[in-house]
Amino acid sequence: MALRELSSLEKFLGIKKLNKYSTQGERKVPVLQNNNAQSLVGLATISCHLVHEAKRRELLGDSAEQRAVVQQWLEYRLTRLDHCSRDEINIILKELNQYLVDKVYLAGNSITLADMLMYYGIHHIIMELAVQQKEKYLNVTRWFDHIQHYPGVRHHLPPVLKLPFKKR
Amino acid sequence: MAAGTLYTYPENWRAFKAQIAAQYSGARLKVASSPPAFTFGQTNRSPAFLSNFPLGKVPAYQGDDGFCLFESNAIAHYLSNDALRGSTPQASAQVLQWVNFADSEIIPPASAWVFPTLGIMQFNKQATEQAKEEVKRVLTVLNQHLNTRTFLVGERVSLADITVVCSLLWLYKQVLEPAFRQPYPNVNRWFVTCINQPQFKAVLGEVKLCEKMAQFDAKKFAENQPKKEAPSKKEKAGKEAGKQQPQQQQEKKEKKKEEKKPAPPAEEMDECEAALASEPKTKDPFAHLPKTSFVLDEFKRKYSNEDTLTVAIPHFWENFDREGFSIWYSEYRFPEELTMTFMSCNLITGMFQRLDKLRKNAFASVILFGTNNDSSISGIWVFRGQDLAFTLSDDWQIDYESYNWRKLDVDSEECKTMVKEYFAWEGEFKHVGKPFSQGKIFK
Repeated sequence: MALRELSSLEKFLGIKKLNKYSTQGERKVPVLQNNNAQSLVGLATISCHLVHEAKRRELLGDSAEQRAVVQQWLEYRLTRLDHCSRDEINIILKELNQYLVDKVYLAGNSITLADMLMYYGIHHIIMELAVQQKEKYLNVTRWFDHIQHYPGVRHHLPPVLKLPFKKR
Repeated sequence: MAAGTLYTYPENWRAFKAQIAAQYSGARLKVASSPPAFTFGQTNRSPAFLSNFPLGKVPAYQGDDGFCLFESNAIAHYLSNDALRGSTPQASAQVLQWVNFADSEIIPPASAWVFPTLGIMQFNKQATEQAKEEVKRVLTVLNQHLNTRTFLVGERVSLADITVVCSLLWLYKQVLEPAFRQPYPNVNRWFVTCINQPQFKAVLGEVKLCEKMAQFDAKKFAENQPKKEAPSKKEKAGKEAGKQQPQQQQEKKEKKKEEKKPAPPAEEMDECEAALASEPKTKDPFAHLPKTSFVLDEFKRKYSNEDTLTVAIPHFWENFDREGFSIWYSEYRFPEELTMTFMSCNLITGMFQRLDKLRKNAFASVILFGTNNDSSISGIWVFRGQDLAFTLSDDWQIDYESYNWRKLDVDSEECKTMVKEYFAWEGEFKHVGKPFSQGKIFK
């Protein structure tokens, strides 16, 4: 799973060089094999590294504050989202929905790595949402739809239909 | 890719649309907004400019290849790329829909509300309240639409977003204080996201959202008054026709003033705040005039209570302040339409009633001459200031265009004679050629 994400990210970043990955441990934590240097472990670490390599630093936030917010969501992704139980899903959706009331992107006013990794990580959850839930978490639905339509983001994942919106 | 020059006055939100579109599309756009390239009021009146842009209005675009365009939406469309215009027939029609929505639904109430706060339009409580309601309605529509969407059309910024954001710009800067905009979180989210896109920022700079609703800027309005004296009929008539909004007339005026007054917004904000304390309703439209020594009320008392020829008229000439006041001769333009004398008299008194709020600053004697089906109306008016006062308020503009107005030379014999005859309701009235029938005094 994580390896497919990284491959999508590479495509998004336009990285031509073929990186070699493996996983380690029960949780299949990704490892970037690096021939002439130390190998890197962990999704967030490797993602940030790829962004730097592609010279797309704006994807990590365009100010000190935004960079912190991006890191916050990467941590959220790994610690909360990736290990949540069924019961916790609704809490996460609620939190995210509230957070996105007045935001288009998770950090700042343009897409960042936070949006991409959160999108990748939450995709399987959104896939399974019933229409009523999509309506309930409208801000998440809107954000998700925007990110999946962002050019170059959705590579390995099927598109999720937005609500069959009824006009009131 | 288009390359050319955009003529405009500085800080023109209509020009912003084209400038932002160019930021997105990469069109090479030079902006001519300051001398020597462009001097508003001069360059756009020059024959060369008018031959390219017959309306003489800005923004106006001239391509390096000579291609000319007026109308801001057309220019923005031309400077866009396919992504901005909408790349499917549906998307491009939706873009067009929002562009028109901005012009017909947002701009009229936005102008009616914001312009008085910038001091470029007279304050009218009823109009402002109505405009607020309309703005609420528009924001509700947008809020509903943006509930499920990130941008207005599709998933990327389009000309629809550019146009609607620019149309809302003054509202968000001047009057949409946090409490007012709070019910529209989706609109706020979308607006803030848009203005923070680098392409918007490059044109708009840092946009500071309103913190406290600006009120009518009476001081600024008064300062602006001399600038708009003697608006030429031609200019009025040349304004975009076909606006079907109820505030049609207002809008026409606004446009004219708006173009005349490209004051930098920072300055406007400060003065607006200064004017917050002032109560707009009681504001005197003549406040911009210097103080005068001639006390009109005192003359009116003399006129009402004492003999006209021996006391009131001598008092008038002794105290008349020729700097602060002017004397006008008015003549009804359609005497052939006058029928029964009582109806003609109603015409005069009706006009007086409609001019009620002018009473403090004017005095007039208007006389009906002749008999049924053969009469004329003429009068002598004394106004505060050197210009006809009617343009200062919308309420005053109903009747005055039915009259010919001639400013009298205060020192002339003609003026002395007319003042005497009209004030006293007696004399030869040589210029009329009909006998005195009835007189009405505006005081």
